[in-house]
Amino acid sequence: MSDIKQIKNLKDFSTSVERFQGGHRLCPGCSHSVIVREIMNATDDDVVVSTATGCLEVCTAIYPYTSWDTSWIHIGFENAAASISGVEAMHKALQNKGKSHTDRPTKFVAFGGDGGTYDIGFQSLSGAAERGHDFIYVCLDNEGYMNTGGQRSSSTPIGGATTTSPAGKVSYGEKKLKKDMVQIMAAHGCEFVAQVAPSKWKDLVKKTQLAYQAKGAVYINAVSPCPTEWKFAPEKSMEICDLAVDSCVFPLYQIEDGHKVTVTYKPKVKKSVEEYCAAQGRFKHLFRQEFSHVIDEWQKRVDATWEHLLKREEAGL
Amino acid sequence: MANSIAPQKRVVWDGNMAASQAMRQAQIDVVAAYPITPSTPIVQNYAQFVADGEANGGEFVMVESEHSAMSACVGASAGGGRVATATSSQGYALMVEVLYQASGMRLPIVMNVVNRALASPLNIHGDHADMYLGRDAGWINLCAFNPQEAYDLNFIAFKTAEDLNVRLPVAVNQDGFLTSHTAEVVEHFDDADAYNFIGDFVNKNPMLDGVNPVTYGAQTEGEWHFEHKMRQNHALVESLDVIKANFDAFEKFSGRKYHAVETYLTDDADEIIVCIGSVFGTVQMTVDKLRSEGKKVGLVGIRVWRPFPKDEMAAAIKNAKSVAVLDRSAPMGTTGALYNEVAAVMVENGISVNLIDYIYGLGGRDTTAEHVTGIFADLKECSDAGKRVKPVMQTINLRGKTLTFY
Amino acid sequence: MTEEHLLKGWDEFEAGAVLHSFEGTADQHVHHINNSIQHSVADWRAEKPVFNDEHCIHCQFCWVYCPDTAIVPKDKKFGHIDYVHCKGCGICVDVCPTNPKALLMFTEQTPDEEAVRNWPAKETKKDA
Repeated sequence: MSDIKQIKNLKDFSTSVERFQGGHRLCPGCSHSVIVREIMNATDDDVVVSTATGCLEVCTAIYPYTSWDTSWIHIGFENAAASISGVEAMHKALQNKGKSHTDRPTKFVAFGGDGGTYDIGFQSLSGAAERGHDFIYVCLDNEGYMNTGGQRSSSTPIGGATTTSPAGKVSYGEKKLKKDMVQIMAAHGCEFVAQVAPSKWKDLVKKTQLAYQAKGAVYINAVSPCPTEWKFAPEKSMEICDLAVDSCVFPLYQIEDGHKVTVTYKPKVKKSVEEYCAAQGRFKHLFRQEFSHVIDEWQKRVDATWEHLLKREEAGL
Repeated sequence: MANSIAPQKRVVWDGNMAASQAMRQAQIDVVAAYPITPSTPIVQNYAQFVADGEANGGEFVMVESEHSAMSACVGASAGGGRVATATSSQGYALMVEVLYQASGMRLPIVMNVVNRALASPLNIHGDHADMYLGRDAGWINLCAFNPQEAYDLNFIAFKTAEDLNVRLPVAVNQDGFLTSHTAEVVEHFDDADAYNFIGDFVNKNPMLDGVNPVTYGAQTEGEWHFEHKMRQNHALVESLDVIKANFDAFEKFSGRKYHAVETYLTDDADEIIVCIGSVFGTVQMTVDKLRSEGKKVGLVGIRVWRPFPKDEMAAAIKNAKSVAVLDRSAPMGTTGALYNEVAAVMVENGISVNLIDYIYGLGGRDTTAEHVTGIFADLKECSDAGKRVKPVMQTINLRGKTLTFY
Repeated sequence: MTEEHLLKGWDEFEAGAVLHSFEGTADQHVHHINNSIQHSVADWRAEKPVFNDEHCIHCQFCWVYCPDTAIVPKDKKFGHIDYVHCKGCGICVDVCPTNPKALLMFTEQTPDEEAVRNWPAKETKKDA
């Protein structure tokens, strides 16, 4: 077992050797790369990365360029988890046979957008988690298929406008409840699952380091505000993250061994869902009189979920 | 390297056992697989080898779908080691996009494909619908007609796939049930000899070498894609030379010689049947009988379906008068895929024979010596008339009104 | 679009579209010609961030939140802005906690010295 990299504070962290280089084609202000940099910098071990088709993959490996200073593989949209399962299995096999390519500790990380995780990649993620491969799955959750212009996914929240669930004269956009991937992955019996936000670097890095040390599959859901499709100015990405966690729309918590809940960030001042929506163009139609109930209902759901999380934590089940 | 043939033992194995034994002897590093009839026994046999500690420490990953099976194989192969799997039909269809991805990344994965019909309607029996589906996926495709060949071709497959001048995935095909579940005599090598024929895995750009990180699966825009695909196509076409060299090496090793195109009594044949798979045995038996009656008939079997051996095909049929091509898959809107290959070879080489396509054996439908005799009779009619006097495409052993096309 | 000097014919590149991160090994830290670090995205900018050392407390927020690895630290302090890879998104300015900020956006054409000379004063609570 390799040692955990010591990161006392952000100044310490800033001495990291970057393994995700600039010159990639992600939009200005994209949260994906902030998340990726934090995840990669959280360890000094070699990390083999797989990525599902999506913004991250498309923008960081456009032939003849690669932004990855680490071994990386993209196969398709559905199979980030299956592909990393294969690499991890090969690593184990070669170690068993004394034929390993490396004597350096090696970690395995799969990145997928919510499309490649909640939807088309769900099966292979579930399979890989059930089989217990030693890897971290990080979902870069921007709540839609953003690379192709913003189509809905099962992560799109009710009221979100996307091109396939557009707001219109009679419709308020997405009508289906956002799937709760964190709970679903906890139910797989993972040692550790968590929700993170890149603007809370310390919380994200701490959870990532726990994830690197865990046995079996770890699932991390990372909120990834998308300036292009959530429709806000690029410089505000980290502010939108903060609004997401301060309104408890994206609570920061972890679940250990499938059941033990720890809420890792409790906002001093809980912001409203309305304030969260007001900051993003994809929700602007919800401020029409006839759709305002959507925000009210969402506030109720957020409050109920937040209370439930706090109660679970308190009960220590 | 010994000049004498490796010692072999005779056993009775079905095609599935033959394939799984070859896989065991290849000392694979990762097998990622999913069960589907009729290839399931390959995966089960391999699981038993693992359970008995006979799989040499490799990892055996039972994934949750065939798409994930091939995806895990791609990840494992790019990671850097020997990888193999097995599937059929619907499973093959489910993983077909990943077949293209595997070959595009030039990964030396070996897959045993136990050929079975494709739904709908659902059918678990042998035909070539799956093999034809993956025709353009960029894999080398070898065809076994019986369990001995299912065993032997696995060794050719690993050795060819991993050759640094090839570096392409290889499928070893055998007919579902007709070969996979039919037990015949097989001569097998001992473990050390079998492994040494293939040799150690030679690495190329292994991802698990953290000191030399490498990116697999980039996207190529319009200014690059054509070059990459043609490079791959070039490698696949050129791989035929390596396949043939490995056939030669295998002859020295085993005493059994394979050819890209197998020919039987074709030198002076007027009428020839061209086919793939277990029906080869039936046709061969029928050729022997008809020859004993003085008829000048012959047989051609396709051993290498991809890359298609055009020169060898031309040489095999150029002196015949009439040729029947047997396609074991409904072509859906045109003539059969093998017939189309043969027709192209004829045009390219100025060969004029009377050519007829026969669709046969779908869903495991029986093809008997009597049917084959009927095909040779059709061909003889054409030879005697000096032109094709039968429809372009016919069906064998189909119930109902006679169905022909074109 | 690929730069002219990187375009290759079908028989001239490495098979399988494989790309290497480094010339030689990773430990030598020499980036391969195919690494995106060699690719400039400077022309994406309409505005650029300018650094003012006078106000910086070296908190490293700008470093950790930059999506383009374009803030380069030195010895746990602010080092420099990598203008080859900066897209001008403005996150570094947005997260800078000082008052006045140590990083502000200016037009691409503004020389850095002029920007620093024209730095705004500290904001009082009333102004904010």
